[in-house]
Amino acid sequence: MSEDTQRKTPTIELRHVEKHFGDLHVLKDVSLQVEKGEVLVLIGPSGSGKSTLCRTINRLETIDSGEILIEGKPLPQEGKELAAMRAEIGMVFQQFNLFAHKTILENVTMGPVEVLHVDKKKAEQEAMELLRRVGVAEQASKVPAQLSGGQQQRVAIARSLAMHPKAMLFDEPTSALDPEMINEVLDVMVELAREGMTMVVVTHEMNFARRVADRVEFMADGQILEEGDPNEFFDHPKTERAREFLESIKGH
Amino acid sequence: MSAADSVSMRDALYEAPGPRTRRRIVVGTVVSSVAIVAIVAWVVARLYEMGQFDSRYWYFFAQWSTWRFLLMGLAGTAEVALCAGAIALVLGILFMLGRISHNRVVSTVFRVVINFFRGIPSLLLIYFFFLVIPSYGIKMPSFWMLTLPIALTASGVLAEVFRAGVNAVPKGQREAALSIGMTEGKVMRKIILPQAIRYVIPSLISQLVVVVKDTSVAYVVSYPDLLQNARVLISNYDALVSVYFVVAIIYILINYAINQWAVNLARRSGAKVVTRSQENPV
Repeated sequence: MSEDTQRKTPTIELRHVEKHFGDLHVLKDVSLQVEKGEVLVLIGPSGSGKSTLCRTINRLETIDSGEILIEGKPLPQEGKELAAMRAEIGMVFQQFNLFAHKTILENVTMGPVEVLHVDKKKAEQEAMELLRRVGVAEQASKVPAQLSGGQQQRVAIARSLAMHPKAMLFDEPTSALDPEMINEVLDVMVELAREGMTMVVVTHEMNFARRVADRVEFMADGQILEEGDPNEFFDHPKTERAREFLESIKGH
Repeated sequence: MSAADSVSMRDALYEAPGPRTRRRIVVGTVVSSVAIVAIVAWVVARLYEMGQFDSRYWYFFAQWSTWRFLLMGLAGTAEVALCAGAIALVLGILFMLGRISHNRVVSTVFRVVINFFRGIPSLLLIYFFFLVIPSYGIKMPSFWMLTLPIALTASGVLAEVFRAGVNAVPKGQREAALSIGMTEGKVMRKIILPQAIRYVIPSLISQLVVVVKDTSVAYVVSYPDLLQNARVLISNYDALVSVYFVVAIIYILINYAINQWAVNLARRSGAKVVTRSQENPV
């Protein structure tokens, strides 16, 4: 107990999480902790369960057993409590998922106005600041379909930031982007990491992981096989599985 | 635009015809044109022989009172159609929400309700409102005995139309809305429904055509709609073919106008999407 109080409570903690999709065992006894201000990168071959893991943290995927704690409190199962918890955890998707029928500005003000009941004028002011920060302020009155993928993803990040989240989840944020747009999104994420945002990032971007990750978790077949310092992991992977994987993505 | 549309649609479905096919198309066109002209000529000739073009069947269309009477009927048709359409829209959304409920009981109940109203002929339901409900002492003006059954049968269809629209909204929209802390209800109202309705606007308007046509059974409850007033004219002037002919044209024009409206709306929203993706900056 005394040890517990001395150590800071992790922002996100998973304890022995298990999940099945039918016969497929997608998460096998997964435990991990993300401290406040820490940037955790989840890496691994496709189908390894890293996206699923990321999505369990705000309960877009349910789990079969185990525990998920946000700032020491168990993740609510449903209703207003769950919604309130989700409001505190930002999420950025592979496919951006901007609200297609709303303008860029409305996409960003939606959460503050509808969920936090912020005054509309105030929300718009802050949204414009955020859009400026991610470099798409000139697009504020357009609709998502008029923007490039990189711009849309930056808007998606601004939409999450508008909620002042405690932590942010990135589920392969650059995987759907054309190569020339990847960096504009990563730059925003690097800046966020520097400002001390707590982040869980599912990505294949090794350079990004080296630059900003405090820790890398390597997943395969639903298990965390390796964990450690990014440079250490990329330069000297301990497991055969990780070596093979890194070899396969280094190829080109 | 519409010509270009149909060409591109044909090109998408069939390959461009070769010389032999083109010859066959020409022959087919000529033969069928001749056949159609012959049939029309025969019908006109028969009508002429029967004296249907006599002025005694047509002179009253030169009188304003005839047209005023028909227009009053048309107004009655429009009132019922618009009112039934509006009720069906609201009920359709409610039925759809019940149908997609996570609660098994609620969803089953609404599935039954939707299939009942979708499957039952509106005329049968009108008889029910006209003959059965009054026998329980519930009095209703003929307007509602006509409007409610039409609205109910249309709402069954619209519920399924809306459901198709809701299913067409990408899953990511819902997930994104949930992830910023919206509750399920708010996600539906603010994110899913507005997009779903946009998807199905053309189908909604087509259903309005069905509603307009459904109103023509108004004679059952002696509600003065277009067709009911036409029947009065028929017995007044003893002129069946000419009056039905004129009234049919009116119905066709109304429904053609509604359909054109639907096509325009669909094209406008479609065109927007095209120009938007073309604009794609940087």
